[in-house]
Amino acid sequence: MSVTNQPTSQGPLTGVTVVELGDGTSAPYAAKLFGDLGAEVIKVEGPAGDSSRKRGPFPDGRPDPEASGLFMYLNVNKFGVMLDLDTKPGVADMHKLLSRADVFMTNLPVKRLVAVGLDAKTLRAQYPKLVVTTISPFGVDGPWADRLSDELVTFASTGLAYSTPGMPDASEDLVKEPPLHPACFAGETISGLVAAEATMAALLGSGHTGEGCHVELSQQAAMAAMQIRDATSASYTGAPYNRLINPITIGRMPNFYLPCKDGYVTIAAPMENHWERLKDGMGRPAWAESELYSTEQARTANWISLRVRLMEWTMTVTSDEMHAFGETSQLPIFPFYSIRKLAGTQHSKDRGTFADLTIGGKPAKMPAAPFQMRGTPWSIRRPAPRLGEHSAVILKDGIAA
Amino acid sequence: MSQGQGKQSQPRPLPLAGIRVLDLGQFIAIPFCSLWLAWLGAEVIVIESRRRMTSRTAPPFAEGREKEPNASGYFNQLYSSKKSVTVDMTTAEGRDLVRRLAGVCDVMVDNFSTGVLEKLGLGYEQIAALNPSIIMLSNGAFGRAGAMRNSRGLHSAVNLFSGVAEVTGYADSHPRILGGCIPDPLSGTYSGFAIMAAIYHRQKTGQGQFIDVAMHEAMLSLIPEAVIDLTMNDVEPTRIGNRDRVNAPHGIYQGREDGTWLAVSVNDETEWAAFCNATRHPDWPSDPRFATLDARQKNVDALDLAIGAWVRGQNVSEATDLLQSAGVPSGPVLRLDEMLDHEQLLARDGVVTIDHPVVGPRRQMALPWRMDSLGIEYKSAPLLGEHTHEILTGLLGVTEPDYARLEAGGVLS
Repeated sequence: MSVTNQPTSQGPLTGVTVVELGDGTSAPYAAKLFGDLGAEVIKVEGPAGDSSRKRGPFPDGRPDPEASGLFMYLNVNKFGVMLDLDTKPGVADMHKLLSRADVFMTNLPVKRLVAVGLDAKTLRAQYPKLVVTTISPFGVDGPWADRLSDELVTFASTGLAYSTPGMPDASEDLVKEPPLHPACFAGETISGLVAAEATMAALLGSGHTGEGCHVELSQQAAMAAMQIRDATSASYTGAPYNRLINPITIGRMPNFYLPCKDGYVTIAAPMENHWERLKDGMGRPAWAESELYSTEQARTANWISLRVRLMEWTMTVTSDEMHAFGETSQLPIFPFYSIRKLAGTQHSKDRGTFADLTIGGKPAKMPAAPFQMRGTPWSIRRPAPRLGEHSAVILKDGIAA
Repeated sequence: MSQGQGKQSQPRPLPLAGIRVLDLGQFIAIPFCSLWLAWLGAEVIVIESRRRMTSRTAPPFAEGREKEPNASGYFNQLYSSKKSVTVDMTTAEGRDLVRRLAGVCDVMVDNFSTGVLEKLGLGYEQIAALNPSIIMLSNGAFGRAGAMRNSRGLHSAVNLFSGVAEVTGYADSHPRILGGCIPDPLSGTYSGFAIMAAIYHRQKTGQGQFIDVAMHEAMLSLIPEAVIDLTMNDVEPTRIGNRDRVNAPHGIYQGREDGTWLAVSVNDETEWAAFCNATRHPDWPSDPRFATLDARQKNVDALDLAIGAWVRGQNVSEATDLLQSAGVPSGPVLRLDEMLDHEQLLARDGVVTIDHPVVGPRRQMALPWRMDSLGIEYKSAPLLGEHTHEILTGLLGVTEPDYARLEAGGVLS
């Protein structure tokens, strides 16, 4: 195919075929990232359907397995096939799909995969060119391999719950403010993304080896590896992570998250020139000239009193005023935005940050592309499948054109 | 050193062997992206200068080596397996060298403020004119397009802008910021995936392209449920601590020893019965406050108090064993510094020790997946300017007299 006749509506992964045997968020999200970039993704569900069909949010809160917002988002751009892997015909159909696939992605428990003959070892032997991506909470071996886990429990095991609220914020009360998990599938999404990157690496690697690969991802390791900055501190200083507001954890000051008159702002002014500009913005109050705050080291050492001083100022300023000051002073000062406010910005409209979808007849918006490839734009080619929607056509004729 | 190699066998091929990346990154996002690309076998050439050192001036430093450019842990862990070329981009000749390098690279990455590269004559249009098939990825807090493309922000601003802070926090309290500087490595990981997808496309078509990564859009991908509920049902997101919108109990509770915490997540009635049985609360399944999921959600304050009181009397490790054998998802809250010694990560090559000529062997998190047919390569971070001569005279064919002249003129400082 020459450059000139390349339609821009085709994604960069056009021609890649992915079979996804996923549940919840991690593997379905990895497969969605492939589907969004043009790969043909065949999602295989059991008779009960993916558990995210039961999750919602539903139109007006009325449960409907064909109108779960999370499912509709995670499974856009996929074909749907329903197979009962506890039956011989179901397993035979699965192999029909795998025999023409480039990639198989799953986050089903290893025991289940072994029981139905779809474990990585078996598949690698049977389909030497197949990239097999398995996602599990702690990996397939090691002392924690058989532990039961889910979003919360895995997230807690990665260091990320312990360090939330995190820099430049911190826990203000160790009892009332325990380690925190955000109310979303953050860990499942992050590990789905890492699985997609790992799978992509294996696909490119296939170009060198002429064979497939087992990509074996531990969700715990994926999230731990993300926190490279915190690991560096531990490796170089050996200091335990401190959940309380602590200059050793946070670094140079001020680099704070603070309440303001009508919301919350983050103020980063860690270097000498930043501090001078910040003092200008505050109208150069007398306290700011104190020796307590005269150097980077002093501001860090005396950050507890500095924080109180700054708060006395921020509570007199609105978030919009603070943002405007940040722009004119070229300091990274930024206010909290609600999702509603973010969605309403010109910036979101300019970038197409949110995409329209219809759920059970009701209009909604979802996060659009997490990055923008100018040469091969993101597109929605088809909505998420109804349970078994494409079973007949795909198992009979192969992938629909 | 490499991982996953049989002792007798030939080294396995590296997935990104043959891919050359020009790295103009700073802070964490892009250096993190190119770190994994380097481990996967790409040749990553980092442009630095004594005038613009990347993170070499940032702590933590090896003990007794504060402020030494080759002793920063921040740098050494983010720049493992990369090459360092010092070029002063404030000089015209320096900019020309970087342009020529871009001409022979497959990928170019940066996370400068929007517009900086264009002013240096190194923007996508300028580079693509020399090297049309280049894949250039630019990562910014707010991206390279849109009304706010020139706004400034570090990871904390991205957290606050992205909507994620709206669902992060304790019940009935203010928005909080996710730990781990996550917007940086998260957008860096999306960047790595996007680059590899673009490489795949280029191998098929010969077409290069520009990729625009906005860190706040990477973060927005974490919260589809909240976005959909708001835009479809007009339901405002709420902060609910460690609770779940659907299941209960779902929380992080303090253990007997100070600073220890147990995560417990009950996903259905079977697990609830198992939890009550294992913790010797036979009355709870029939207690009208806790008998059904609806009741547990209505009485979630009382539920969390009751469970919190039980966990407070337990050793977290013993409680995990008890609940796991009963079939209830549960486990300890771990600190990242503990994880360098964590039995599960150690058992799976999840922590790698990389020896460095200046700071010696140091541990860091390895690539978090294994591959049975492909290799990974961990090498130490480069010394400042270690590869300048090799790259300029080798890759660019700069003659020795020209090299000496550039060096004497301060272009390579």
